[in-house]
Amino acid sequence: MARQTGILYFTISLILVTVALFFGFECRLTLVTHLPYGYFIPIACGLLFLFNMGCLLRTAWSDPGIIPRSTPEEAAYLERCLQDQQARDENTREYRPPPRTLDITINGTPMKLKYCFTCKIFRPPRASHCSMCDNCVENFDHHCPWVGNCVGRRNYRYFFLFVTSLTLLCLFIFSFSVTHIILLSGLQGGFLEALKISPGRYPFMLICFFSIWSVIG
Amino acid sequence: MQSADELQVRKRIYLQRDFSNGMAVRFQTRFPSELDGRVNPEEFSQTISVLNEKYRQAEEISFSTYCEGCLACLTGYLLLLCINTHYKKVLKEISKYIEDQNNTIYWPKRILIKDPFESGLRSIEIVIFDEN
Repeated sequence: MARQTGILYFTISLILVTVALFFGFECRLTLVTHLPYGYFIPIACGLLFLFNMGCLLRTAWSDPGIIPRSTPEEAAYLERCLQDQQARDENTREYRPPPRTLDITINGTPMKLKYCFTCKIFRPPRASHCSMCDNCVENFDHHCPWVGNCVGRRNYRYFFLFVTSLTLLCLFIFSFSVTHIILLSGLQGGFLEALKISPGRYPFMLICFFSIWSVIG
Repeated sequence: MQSADELQVRKRIYLQRDFSNGMAVRFQTRFPSELDGRVNPEEFSQTISVLNEKYRQAEEISFSTYCEGCLACLTGYLLLLCINTHYKKVLKEISKYIEDQNNTIYWPKRILIKDPFESGLRSIEIVIFDEN
């Protein structure tokens, strides 16, 4: 897990509060009582919520594919090898700083491996150094502050499942809140009447709705 | 037999990854000049080839690994608390193989091969001790 974890707790509490409000109000008051097979809704929501939380925690607490730093001996050995190679290539004995890119061929295509000065290693292709976590990560995608961890090779699938299940959860809660308002307005005789009765939680539902756009995107 | 702690380390060599056939885990099989005279080149290249083959097997996709993945996903990855994945099992085999090779071939010549898993599969560290 990365160093600043505050935003992760914010993410967890945001999801928790929204789902709790959904359970507390919509499910209890309207959906279960007024819809046929209404009791499937809290069950489905609960399962989706648990799956989402599982993926979030797995993304946050699992290793994204951190490449350990090299020991001082390994760094010295690499430098020596490169210097010897340079000396052989250029037939010179004077000291030059070792080159900071290494040319290799992958399946016939020439590529350059970059040197990471902090970790003192030649990074494999698609690896990158994350300054927040202060280490190199394989197949580095990005550092996600919401999750509080880098997203790389080893936790990409959990991150993707988290984002997908969060989208589904948002859509689920939003659609059933809208159903709830429609039902209430049907019962109470008017859309505005329905809103007056339960005003408090609609900001949360709106947040949910807007977060759908940012999450799917 | 003396333990590794009592001896002086003469040299450490690091065998790097071989990316010439793609990103799969493979280590260079060239024989390091520092081991000249201490170890038989064929035995050494056999050890590294077997390691490369085992790493290839670890990442092989088969029906059982596919089932493992699907079941794990459906149970919210709680399944992984109960069973070891195919990859982990092969990694354990690799650890055991390295230990065997050390005990039979390399330690009698005062050389130790370290499990590359400790360096994040970046390099194989070979420690050469002083003979005395």
